[in-house]
Amino acid sequence: MLVIVLENAPPRLRGRLAVWLLEIRAGVYVGNYSAKVRDNIWKQVEEGIEQGNAVIAWRTNNEAGFDFMTLGANRRIPVEMDGAKLVSFLPLDDGTVL
Amino acid sequence: MAGLLPPLKPITIKERLSILFIDKGQLDVLDGAFVVVDKNGVRTHIPVGGVACLMLEPGTRVSHAAVALAARVGTLLVWVGEAGVRLYSSGQPGGARADRLLYQARLALDDDLRLKVVRKMYAMRFGEEPPSRRSVEQLRGIEGARVRQTYQLLAKKYGVEWKARNYDTSEWDKGDIPNRCLSAATACLYGVTEAAVLAAGYAPAVGFIHTGKPLSFIYDVADVFKFETVVPVAFRIAAKNPHNAEQQVRLGCRDAFRETRLLERIIPTIEEMLAAGEITPPTPPEESVAPAIPNPESLGDAGHRS
Repeated sequence: MLVIVLENAPPRLRGRLAVWLLEIRAGVYVGNYSAKVRDNIWKQVEEGIEQGNAVIAWRTNNEAGFDFMTLGANRRIPVEMDGAKLVSFLPLDDGTVL
Repeated sequence: MAGLLPPLKPITIKERLSILFIDKGQLDVLDGAFVVVDKNGVRTHIPVGGVACLMLEPGTRVSHAAVALAARVGTLLVWVGEAGVRLYSSGQPGGARADRLLYQARLALDDDLRLKVVRKMYAMRFGEEPPSRRSVEQLRGIEGARVRQTYQLLAKKYGVEWKARNYDTSEWDKGDIPNRCLSAATACLYGVTEAAVLAAGYAPAVGFIHTGKPLSFIYDVADVFKFETVVPVAFRIAAKNPHNAEQQVRLGCRDAFRETRLLERIIPTIEEMLAAGEITPPTPPEESVAPAIPNPESLGDAGHRS
């Protein structure tokens, strides 16, 4: 199982991902492929994301049962805590937490 | 101007969905994605690169861009009739591996080698070695009797009234329900088998048991899987006699393909059959000229163009 979420991505990248994955909501893509195909798909995102940002999550055999990685600027950034991968939510530039 | 996306490449057949049926709509490409647009303007995205073959039913129109995209991701387009009877098929420009084609042709041309392959096909199909010292013709006779018996047995098991296999495409509606279900089911099997044969780099027309048809080799390969996959589905549906039998058969076939892991097995099975000839695939002659521009690396199967 594999999920990709795009924000602010150019249409041609969104179309490209729809070649292999199902766009179940705007910018949310799901599919079920091997690691090799997943790498190939992620390469497309790396090349085409431009000013947008993206995250990919997939099922794997670790403690959490899944892993993920991100691309581009976003307030949510992955952090390592006690060997577990979590997400930190950064405050806005002006310091408000929200 | 931002950089272009990396080139589209096929992925292996075993990682794909087996078949998707599309009826009514214009197949086109929007923002680089394969879409079906219906008359109300509703767009449906098809993950074309993740499907082994697309079955296009009457009522579909295909744009040039859509066919080009399907070819680029190595997906077979199969035009089928309303009841799932194949009309015409085209699609991925696959099967383009000279070494495999020569290997297949050599096995088919030499009578001894062909007999070995045919024996292997029957052995895989019936789960036991066929009687020794029989010609291809004799084996075919034994097979025919056995197939008729298998149809009888399965028909009895699923409670279907069975006379004989009869597929007259010109008088489709005169065929009885079990026969129509079987034809719809085998069309599904032939579609995925053709996609796999092309992807593996072999020629659909060069058959061993079947000859003289554009899809002879497809029938050979599909026969190995027929009685474990599509025939039980067809009879099970036929026994219920629903009004939309053909559609139910297709859905049943897709489940059967997934349960039997057909897409993972089909290419290894082809290799195993041909390996029974006990010859090695030909090596290029010494004086041959290697390609000036080598092929880029691909995730696809051997016969996929990258």
